[in-house]
Amino acid sequence: MILHYKCPSCGSDMSFDPDSGELSCLSCGRHENIENYPEELRSVRFSEDEANEYHCENCGAVLITEAETAATNCSFCGAGVVIADRLSGTLAPAKVIPFMISKEEATKAFQKWCRKGLLTPKGFMNADRIKSLTGMYVPFWLFDLNSKVQVNATCTKVRTYTQGDYIYTETKYFDAFRDINLDYVKIPVDASEKMNDKLMDRLEPYPYDQLKDFKTPYLAGYIAEKYNYTDEELLPRAKDKISGYIDSYIRSTLTGYHSVNYTNKQIDTINKNSDYVLLPVWMVSYDYNNSDYTFAMNGETGKIVGKPPISTSKVAMWFSGIAAGTFLALKCVSYMMGGGFW
Amino acid sequence: MSRIYLQKRGIFFLMIAVLLLLLPWAMPAKAENFDRNKYIYDFAHLLTDNEAAELQNIASELGKERETAFIILTVSGTDGKDIVQYVEDFYDDNAPGYDQPHGNTAILAIDMQERDIYLAGFKKAEQYLSDGRLDQIRDNITPDLSDGHYFQAFSAFITASHEYMGNEPNDGSGSDGYSDYGPGGSSVGYNGYDSGADQENIFFQWWFQLIASFIVAGVVVAIMAYRSGGRVTVNAGTYMNSDQSRVLNKYDNFVRQTVTRQRKPSNNTHSGGGGGITGGGHSHSGSRGKF
Repeated sequence: MILHYKCPSCGSDMSFDPDSGELSCLSCGRHENIENYPEELRSVRFSEDEANEYHCENCGAVLITEAETAATNCSFCGAGVVIADRLSGTLAPAKVIPFMISKEEATKAFQKWCRKGLLTPKGFMNADRIKSLTGMYVPFWLFDLNSKVQVNATCTKVRTYTQGDYIYTETKYFDAFRDINLDYVKIPVDASEKMNDKLMDRLEPYPYDQLKDFKTPYLAGYIAEKYNYTDEELLPRAKDKISGYIDSYIRSTLTGYHSVNYTNKQIDTINKNSDYVLLPVWMVSYDYNNSDYTFAMNGETGKIVGKPPISTSKVAMWFSGIAAGTFLALKCVSYMMGGGFW
Repeated sequence: MSRIYLQKRGIFFLMIAVLLLLLPWAMPAKAENFDRNKYIYDFAHLLTDNEAAELQNIASELGKERETAFIILTVSGTDGKDIVQYVEDFYDDNAPGYDQPHGNTAILAIDMQERDIYLAGFKKAEQYLSDGRLDQIRDNITPDLSDGHYFQAFSAFITASHEYMGNEPNDGSGSDGYSDYGPGGSSVGYNGYDSGADQENIFFQWWFQLIASFIVAGVVVAIMAYRSGGRVTVNAGTYMNSDQSRVLNKYDNFVRQTVTRQRKPSNNTHSGGGGGITGGGHSHSGSRGKF
């Protein structure tokens, strides 16, 4: 089943407008509130033999989609369509963060970011070769994890003092125990196979105050994908993301010791709840020197990640500049410390 | 004939005996005709005449530049005196100096009997050749002395003192000319802790500064390149629900304690002494040791 949003006043295509957060019609300017939109996807079941071919509601052309695509634009008439089958039942997202940054803002922000690059080549900084800028709702799982931690550690406190001709080193050994409960909520883990995990991790954080109940109109005019991995499959990755946090928390509870040696460390992490959500990402494809660069922009905060090209001449410039500066500074310091300038 | 000869010889010996007896007392009187331009007093005969003459040349030439008398004093036995005392008395009694009695003087004294070495700086040399600097010079020349290379050691003392006196007392330059005194390792390893700012502090070496700046630049550029792709801006606090996260139960039980003791390191086993004030009231810096 294909969902397509037609303007009730003029019949033109409607799409989601990040500025107002509403469904808007580009032709007549009509806005429709999304939050009151009826949504019954979760309960709706589509037949198993789901159609492999979808036709655009608007023009009737065949929609060319990938298996994961849940929302796209008709390649013939450009109308934003939502493939409801791929967003229903178990595939129905619980929440969504709608795009807060419009295409124009994204372009500007990207150009600004390119200019800021300290090591990027001059030709890249113009940012005039954006091949495509695609607004995409990326499937994520938001995990609520609970960790029960029990650690035993042998800790020492060391004190040294002098008495007579001797220096005494006194080491006190303690048997320390900590029983800790740790709750981590809404840890995002991207569930799309296509997306580079590292890239997606760096896009965080997504402020959750904009998290809304899922409604299909939010996807109108954007690309959306359904998840490739279930929450069970991604649980290890979520645990992995918090393991460093847990370790540092444990260490922070064992203060006042000179050394801490863990004799027993039990971390039992369970998945209390996981929500399937769609998070907004602008994908920027950029052409420079005949090779493609892909950048991702957080569609809510505007944070940009991705490896830009690096100019060797700029690296050399910075390197020599910093080396010379440091050398001079060291000379000055040694001069002030009484070492003479040369 | 022979009787007269024997008599003459007897008188001669007597005179020498009297002279030797009077020597300590005669010193002050001798100060009057002490040759202030003679810098090498090789009483222990460690140097050949040529070597002594060459050292004399070096000492007078370099001494002129620093307006300081660089004196080498070698003895075999100090009449039971401590070497420090001996050097102080030598300064008091002979009143050496570059242009005036009791003037700027740096003395290297060695006693072959006790195998003592003492370095002292008077007046301008006291300021420029601090205990720390003298310690360092002594450290550098001691191996040569131990091996019997007296000429090398003495000339190294003169050139090193001359070099040090070219730099403000607490403002020595990170000079590169020191590698020839003693093994490079020892001079690099020497920390200028007790001498305040020391010339051979590794921090003052230009090559160290150069390497350090390359490392800093490399690290900074690497960080810049790494961060150009965007960095992680979430931390432990981002996703933690602090209402629910806490320590539920804990204990810290004292188990046992161990105490180890260690003898205080004695100050510089080999050297010590430092400066002092002579009987004549002249203060000086110094560094003593064995070779």
